[in-house]
Amino acid sequence: MPGFDFSNYNRNAALHARGVPLPKATSTGTTIVGCIFDNGVVIAADTRATSGPIVADKNCEKLHYISPNIWCAGAGTAADTEFTTALISSNLELHALSTGRTPRVVTVMTLLKQHLFRYQGHIGAYLVVAGVDPTGIGLFTVHAHGSTDKLPYVTMGSGSLAAMAVFESTWKRDCTKEEAIKVCSEAILAGIFNDLGSGSNVDVCVIEKDKPTQLLRNYFKPNERVKKERDYKFARGTTAVLNEKVITKEEIGRYVTVHELSSGSDSDSLVVVEKMDVDEV
Amino acid sequence: MASIMNAGGLPSDQPGYSFSNASAPSESSGPRQHAFNPYTDNGGSTLGVTGADFAILAGDTRSTSGYNINTRYAPKLFRIGDDGDSSSRIVLSVVGFAADGNALKERLDAIVKMYKYQHGKPMSVKACAQRLSTILYQKRFFPYYVHAILGGLDDDGKGALYSYDPVGSYEREQCRAAGAAASLIMPFLDNQVNYKNQYIPASGTGHELQPRAIESLPKEDVIGLVKDAFTSATERHIEVGDGLQMLIITKDGIEEIYTPLKRD
Amino acid sequence: MFIARSEYDRGINTFSPEGRLFQVEYSLEAIKLGSTAIGVATSHGVLLGVEKRVTSPLLVSSSIEKIVEIDRHIGCAMSGLQADARSMIEHARVESQNHAFNFNERLRVESCTQAICDLALRFGEGAQGEESIMSRPFGVALLIAGWDEDNGPQLYHAEPSGTFYRYDAKAIGSGSEGAQAELQSEYHRSLTLEEAETLVLKTLKQVMEEKLDSKNVQLASVTKEKGFQIYGDEQMATVVARLEGD
Repeated sequence: MPGFDFSNYNRNAALHARGVPLPKATSTGTTIVGCIFDNGVVIAADTRATSGPIVADKNCEKLHYISPNIWCAGAGTAADTEFTTALISSNLELHALSTGRTPRVVTVMTLLKQHLFRYQGHIGAYLVVAGVDPTGIGLFTVHAHGSTDKLPYVTMGSGSLAAMAVFESTWKRDCTKEEAIKVCSEAILAGIFNDLGSGSNVDVCVIEKDKPTQLLRNYFKPNERVKKERDYKFARGTTAVLNEKVITKEEIGRYVTVHELSSGSDSDSLVVVEKMDVDEV
Repeated sequence: MASIMNAGGLPSDQPGYSFSNASAPSESSGPRQHAFNPYTDNGGSTLGVTGADFAILAGDTRSTSGYNINTRYAPKLFRIGDDGDSSSRIVLSVVGFAADGNALKERLDAIVKMYKYQHGKPMSVKACAQRLSTILYQKRFFPYYVHAILGGLDDDGKGALYSYDPVGSYEREQCRAAGAAASLIMPFLDNQVNYKNQYIPASGTGHELQPRAIESLPKEDVIGLVKDAFTSATERHIEVGDGLQMLIITKDGIEEIYTPLKRD
Repeated sequence: MFIARSEYDRGINTFSPEGRLFQVEYSLEAIKLGSTAIGVATSHGVLLGVEKRVTSPLLVSSSIEKIVEIDRHIGCAMSGLQADARSMIEHARVESQNHAFNFNERLRVESCTQAICDLALRFGEGAQGEESIMSRPFGVALLIAGWDEDNGPQLYHAEPSGTFYRYDAKAIGSGSEGAQAELQSEYHRSLTLEEAETLVLKTLKQVMEEKLDSKNVQLASVTKEKGFQIYGDEQMATVVARLEGD
């Protein structure tokens, strides 16, 4: 079944009426910006995710892939930006496959606004859509209620005013790629330092005509964590053991398959019991 | 100590739901009243720790409203009764609504200075602690919206620390964190100052396991703990940052240390 | 135009051309009519003693109350218009309780005396021209005895003029002149509390018109250990008996 599941709606409305607060969604407080240049477009974002006043993620990714030459910067409810962009990306890929054409930025913008308008703002996604297609360079903003804008430079999120201040004071028409990256990253820095909803690092994405898209992850890292003054290593046995139950290998072997690992390591502080394959970028 | 800030729900004759039985937020129907809201939250955090012959109070210097930074340097720590001859041995820290904090500081400072003129001796921390309580309680129904911590040295020269709720309930303690990041810092202090949940390894089995004994920490160790508490709070709380102000009270006077914190 | 001297003793806020406030001076005269009261400070504590003028054999002498408690650590003896002393003592008691409530410590004896003297000056109009609460100066002097954390045992003398001084030993009231001379010659710093009892009673005996007995004098002490204590009938009898034995 496609679409949202509303089966808990009545129960949750009843709970809310009795004073149970709504669950807190992770909001990407956020500063996101975009700026066109002579041969393409740059978008940038900070990397802080918040839950109320608490920093939920210090280095999250707010630049979302739509297609090789179209990317989105997302602000608002983290899950909504994540799923909405993924959904549109997916539909766009199918569209590209069936038409045999490279997708256009206006198409993405239109799909997004139609999707978001249908949900009347309940999907809290605020997006900057940017890309290059056969018709030229595209840069749009899409609000959660479905309205859109087309501008040479845009900002969104709680840090949009701080970022826009940078654009309004330093933006120049017909700028180069380097100038666009500079003004975008400085706009994000303004958001990072002057907006509490934004923080940590700067991510940049450069989309250029006839060139592969560059995702410059952590383009700036102006907020590295400082070293702690003291050591917080606890002596082994510091924590009280209230209850102890030993499950032997033979017992657990009844339920799962147990593999013997060759323990060639003589280090007693770190015993590698399992190795996980991880994607390496 | 009970505080009005965490009063539980009243028992009712209704079924025992696991959630509070508060009434629904009023819908648009019916008359609406626009209320004057005199309080704002200016964020930030403070903490205090005592030792054998010193007391340390600390606070970040950021002042916020909503997602905005009002200023990166607004001290939350104040010397009380300081008349320029460096005889003052009392420090007040206030966090919450900054305007109330300043008003409270001004009032306590004036009272402590008047006390010296009227009684011919500097006020003791114990007396100042009681007076601060009565000041707060006098505004029981229009409170100073602050969490105050008072620090100094007692009559025996030992570090003294008193913490307050907004309406004057107070207690002498070893350490206390207050403000926006109190819930982040206080468990750290419990563990590192009062050694909560720490046991001496292999000192017994089951309930015979001996808890790690509390010792009064040297000043340098406490300064390290305070700095770590604030750098960590800055990492995870958006309202904490910019700068750390510490006032260290010893028999020789009040030493001030300022260290920068992250500004994002 | 000639203004008679007597014109100046009407207004309580009016100086005479010689720079005197007659009403205040007259209030000091009122004290000289009062019964004698003596205070002696020793290193162990402060002793207060008063004579009770039992004017009639039908008078119940225990109802004459000239030494009262202000707080557990402060007591006071009076001479002059007793009714006036009531409002001063009430004020001092409130002041002492407020101090304990606000500061979680005992009010100093000097601060207590100061508070009483502040009240003593509330005659006439206030500085901002507000209505006065008292039509004349008090007609009573007080000997305030106490013990505090900072200065130990202390004795203060407070007058209706609002001035006060600390004394080692002080006599007020009708017999004060003779008594003060006696105290001056007999007082020394190493006095014990017991010696002070004898000194006070001996001095009172000299200046009293009636013959001193355990019913027409009253003693009280303030010590670190027991605070303010009025001597009971038995204690009084013992001390008086000791005096007669000497």
